[in-house]
Amino acid sequence: MSLFIAVRVDPERCRAGQPCTACIGVCPVTIFEGRDGLAGVIGENEDECILCDLCLARCPTDAIAIHKLYADEIRTGAGVQGSAK
Amino acid sequence: MRLLEYEAKQILRDRGFEIPRGVVVRRAGELDQALRSVSFPAMVKAQVPIGGRGKAVAVLRVEDARTARDAAERLLCGQVRGYPVEALLVEEAVPIHREFFLAVTYDTVEKQVILLASGAGGVDVESPDQASPGRMVRRVLDVRRGLQEFEARQVAAKVGLAGRDLMGFAGVVRQAADTFLGLDCTLLEINPLARTDEGRFVVADAHLEVDEDALYRQGDLEKAYGIPRREATGRAPTEFERRAAEVDGIDHRGVAGRVIEFDGNLGLLIGGGGASLTAFDAIRRHGGRPANYCEIGGNPSVRKVAELTKLILSRPGVERIAVIMNVVSNTRVDLIARGVIQGTLEAGRDPVSTIAAFRVPGSWEEEGFTLLRKYGVEFCDRGVSIDEAGRRAVKEI
Repeated sequence: MSLFIAVRVDPERCRAGQPCTACIGVCPVTIFEGRDGLAGVIGENEDECILCDLCLARCPTDAIAIHKLYADEIRTGAGVQGSAK
Repeated sequence: MRLLEYEAKQILRDRGFEIPRGVVVRRAGELDQALRSVSFPAMVKAQVPIGGRGKAVAVLRVEDARTARDAAERLLCGQVRGYPVEALLVEEAVPIHREFFLAVTYDTVEKQVILLASGAGGVDVESPDQASPGRMVRRVLDVRRGLQEFEARQVAAKVGLAGRDLMGFAGVVRQAADTFLGLDCTLLEINPLARTDEGRFVVADAHLEVDEDALYRQGDLEKAYGIPRREATGRAPTEFERRAAEVDGIDHRGVAGRVIEFDGNLGLLIGGGGASLTAFDAIRRHGGRPANYCEIGGNPSVRKVAELTKLILSRPGVERIAVIMNVVSNTRVDLIARGVIQGTLEAGRDPVSTIAAFRVPGSWEEEGFTLLRKYGVEFCDRGVSIDEAGRRAVKEI
């Protein structure tokens, strides 16, 4: 389980945007992989997330949320919620 | 990684250079057989990873087997500038008509490969007071194209050679350029390159260093020549250093695993444009006892920093860890902080009582400081000098 960053993909939203590999292709630190036709999160890589937000910008259905566990902050394609708001 | 002379010569021989006939001796019991296999006069040369062996009386000319035995037994028992002599090269002396100097290396200011050649070789040839700069021929080498035959001949002509000597010297120059590029060297120096009375060019001494970052694609060094990876000191890495190198090899991102083991109680994660030396010195100056020297930088992955932290903390006697870097622009402070905290927790330690100092200012420092605050770890920003951070770390022990 990750200590610092939790990346979540909403399967319903992700399914709505399929076929799509945008997040897999754009992530520089390999957080995502294809899983059952959807984007899956590689748990052991979550703490490598560099908060570049490229996946948030590229996801066509805003299916991705990045939770900074040490700051109680959630970043999505719609913006930032939490302490850094 | 610096190769010993006999190792360099083995490689150069296989690449077409002419090398004097010789034999490697590691124990006094091997001397009889070795001395029967060479003719005299011969040279007895201590195999240690330093220059200036001639001045240190670690290279001796011997006229017969008796004097060779005396010289060999004396050298095998001793040290040369602190390096134990674990092997000797006994090789036939080259009948030198004239000495030349030839080297290929990197010009770290111009960031290019350069080839240097001179019609005067031997001891102190590189020293400005010994060799007139005008006599040292310097040529930039294109790493993609290598050195063409006509360019090698131009070098030989500038050294002042003509006719058969020009062709012979140019051949060695071309071989040197090819070897340097093919072996991912950082230095190939042949000094002296001896021209014999018969006009042959023979490698009388050779110094070869291979880029450690390219060792992964120079597998033949170990497979074909039995040359193990070794530290700059010439010794084999300790188990701790070997495991740290494995950590560095986890992925390609940044550096986190180049360490030198010491026997202190304060583990170090240090780096940043020379700051690792500054931090190490500061800790020593304030009475600290480092458990290791270390270089981290280039934005290593969180996993690598965590694994290195865990490894350092796993050493017996390591009480705390200090994380000290220069102001970093190409390394993310928050990623270093993540790695250190993760490694500390995975080592079963409390970050608050384990991290004696965290002084890493630079890119994404606010994010890193937010994370450190969350875990209750004290940190300092660029307003605190590296020296002061070292002092604080020592005080915490």
